[in-house]
Order: sequence, then C-alpha cells, then structure tokens
Amino acid sequence: MDTTTRTLTIVILVVAFVALAVLTQFARRRRAAYPLRMIAAYEAIPLLIGESIESARPFHVSFGSAGIGGLRTALALASAEMVVQTARRAAISPTAPLITGSDASFLPLAGGALLRGYAARGRADRVSPTSLRWIPALNGSSGSLAFAAALTGMIGVERVSGSILVGTYGAEIALVLDAATRGGRAVVAGSDNLVGQAVAYGMATTPLIGEEMFVAGAYLGDDAGTLAGAVATDTLRWLLVGGMIAAISFVIASRLAGG
Amino acid sequence: MRRLLGVLAIALVIGFGLLTLIGLLTGRDSGIVYDATMFFLQITAITLGVAVLIGLLNLYNVHIRRVVTRGRGLGYSIVLLVAASLVLILWLTGQDASNRALLETVQVALESALGGLVFFALVYGAYRLMRRGVTVSGIVFTIVLLIVLLGALPGQRGDTMITSVRAWLLSVPVSAGERGLLLGIALATVVTGVRVLAGQDRNLRD
Repeated sequence: MDTTTRTLTIVILVVAFVALAVLTQFARRRRAAYPLRMIAAYEAIPLLIGESIESARPFHVSFGSAGIGGLRTALALASAEMVVQTARRAAISPTAPLITGSDASFLPLAGGALLRGYAARGRADRVSPTSLRWIPALNGSSGSLAFAAALTGMIGVERVSGSILVGTYGAEIALVLDAATRGGRAVVAGSDNLVGQAVAYGMATTPLIGEEMFVAGAYLGDDAGTLAGAVATDTLRWLLVGGMIAAISFVIASRLAGG
Repeated sequence: MRRLLGVLAIALVIGFGLLTLIGLLTGRDSGIVYDATMFFLQITAITLGVAVLIGLLNLYNVHIRRVVTRGRGLGYSIVLLVAASLVLILWLTGQDASNRALLETVQVALESALGGLVFFALVYGAYRLMRRGVTVSGIVFTIVLLIVLLGALPGQRGDTMITSVRAWLLSVPVSAGERGLLLGIALATVVTGVRVLAGQDRNLRD
C-alpha cells in the first residue's frame, strides 16, 4: 500500500469514527432530530411481513453469496441486521421465516440474528434450525446460477409469501424475481453487484439501491447506534460531494489562472 | 455472566480488529504486528473451513427432516441427499476424477442451460416493467435498455447514431451512475466496519 492510499484510508476511517461517535451520542438523546428520507422498500417490508403472518406462510430473507471473512463481510452484517429486524416483527407468526445463503459462513451469523430477533419478543424457544438453509453453489464474482435455481424451486415448494433479497447477486437474480412475480409474491431486492442491481431495479416489486441495503436497523428498528450509522453514511457522502466539488473547482481555477 | 461474555466478545473484536487494521495498513514495516495480522487471517480461513462443515450438517438436517416428515418437495430432497452423499463418498474414497466428471457433466451443463433461461427472464422482466405502471423512470430505463441493445447488434458499419448514443450512454451516465452506486456502497461498508471496530454492531452487543 503506497503512502497516499494509506493516509487517505486513515483519514476516512478517522472521519467515519468521529462522525459515528458524535452522532450516536446525539441520536441517543434526540432521535427525532434525525428525520430519515423515505425509502419505499422499508415501507414495503412491514406489509410483506404482515401478509406472511396473516397467510401463515413463511417469508424469505436471502444473503445471496455474501458471507463473513471476505470482501462482502459488511454486506453480510447488513443482511444479518435485516434478519434481526424482520424476525422481531415476525416472531408472533405461526411460521418461521426462511433464511438462505450460498456462503456457509452466513449460517452462524444468520442463526444468531434470527435468535436475537425472536429473543427480543421473548420467543427464542420458537427458533427452528431448519429456518436456515445453506444452498451450496459455485460462487463466481457475482453469484451463482445454481443458487438462483434452488431459490426459484424453494419459493414454490415452501409456499413463500414474499422475499427480501439483500446480498450479492448477478444477473441470475432475474430467475428468482421472475418466479416470485409469476406467483404474485412481493420481492424487495438489492445487490452490491451492478448487474444484479440493475436487474433488481427493473424486476423487483420494490428495489433497494446501493447503500440503502445497509440501513435496515435505522428504518425498521429503534436503535440509536444503527440510526447514527445511517446518518454517518449520509454525512460522509456530503463530505465526499463537497470534496469532489472543491477538487473540480480547484482544477478549473488553476486552468483559468494558467491561461 | 452473559453480560460479561458480551463485554469479553466486544473487547476481543475491538482488539483483534484494530491489530489487523494496523497490520494491513502498515504492511511489513510493522514487523511483529504484520506477522500477527497474517496469523489472524490464517485463523479466519480455518474458521471459515469449519463453517462449511456446519453448512453440510445444516443441509442434511433440513432435507432428512423433510424426507422423514414426507413434506412438500420430498422428491427434490431425496435427489439432493443422494447426490450430496455420492459426492462425499467419491471424495472420501479419493476418486477426484469421478468427482470432477460429475461436476463438469452435471453442474456445468445445468448452469449453462440456466444461463439461457436468464436471458428470457430478463426480456420478460423488461416487458413487465411497463405493464406494472408507466412511470418516467420506467420509460427512461426501457429506452436506454433498447438503445444499448440495438447499439450492440452485429452488422452495423461505422459510427451510426445508435452506436454513438450507446457509446455516450455507457461512458457518461452509466459510468457516473455506476461510480455513484459503488461509492455509496463503499461508504456504507466503511461505516459498518467502523461500527464493528467501535463495538456498536448488534451482533456483538446483544
């Protein structure tokens, strides 16, 4: 790693750490001071869970090929947060949600998240180990066709009421979305892969775009830490926009000054 | 006791996380810290190997239960159990060539067929996008999709208007959108990482 990259990395980490530390304190005292912008997917998720409870059919959350220990660890943590929030709401349902993933490392993470969601409603004893489904697949850079095909079959066999796909998917997500839409099931989907994201935007009932996948805790929960995380991401984005505008202005000004 | 274990987990994560971060940032210059980082990463790889074992147990647990209770999708579960057991037996008996042949003749062939299906699913999805409701973003999405597809058709000689528009679309708005998305994901990833290092992540606290 060269010196410039190293310095930039340290600066970004320090700024993120300071923003998070300060914002968490403020969010604990005055949560209402941080109104969050409306995201359609987070408006749709409670309805999707409500439908699952009323119809006594399971809903499905998938990590895709995201897992811990690699480049997609943060995304796997975001998916786990989605599991906590959805399980907390669905704990009163007679049917447990189904959690799937193709990277085996998602299993302990998703298992803990499911348990935490149920425990928050005092129903930890109702968690079933069969709620977690590892679907082994040869993961390429984006995802796996075998994984998508298995999900397509599972959605029908398990009579899933709706799906939340937050993780890593490529173009193969089209198979899952197509099967779900044909069956009249609602799907909230997002991917950190650009191709998968484009397909999700066009085919999902409600898409999650980019960093929106990381803020489930802030939108569906009431925790100050996750709210601070969402606000810190927005703050960093504004700092980045400001930095880019300043850099562009500097280049234009130097060109003009230089003739 | 549970609280104490929680505090211990947070302390371990913060300690190991910071050491690994410092080791990766400073590289070989940091000497012992870098060696420790490499050791931690090796332990991570071994732990992830164990996760595959947990996954295998999960796979057998889910499908044996379905066979025993004669649940929906019984046929699929039987096929899966037989296939998984066959591959395991082949691996245990050291018949790597047979295992590779199974992979190449069954899985690769099936995935190729599924690749063809993805194309039809995408076309049907694009068609349904406008059926769901005509919105400005839907119209823009469809027009861009059509221009990009038409511009990529073979047999076009020289620079036509369609190929020029396609090239501009790909190099300016698509590239800008792509970078915007990736930067957004990168920022969210940084914040998630920092939350873990600060012991704020729910997976550690609860």
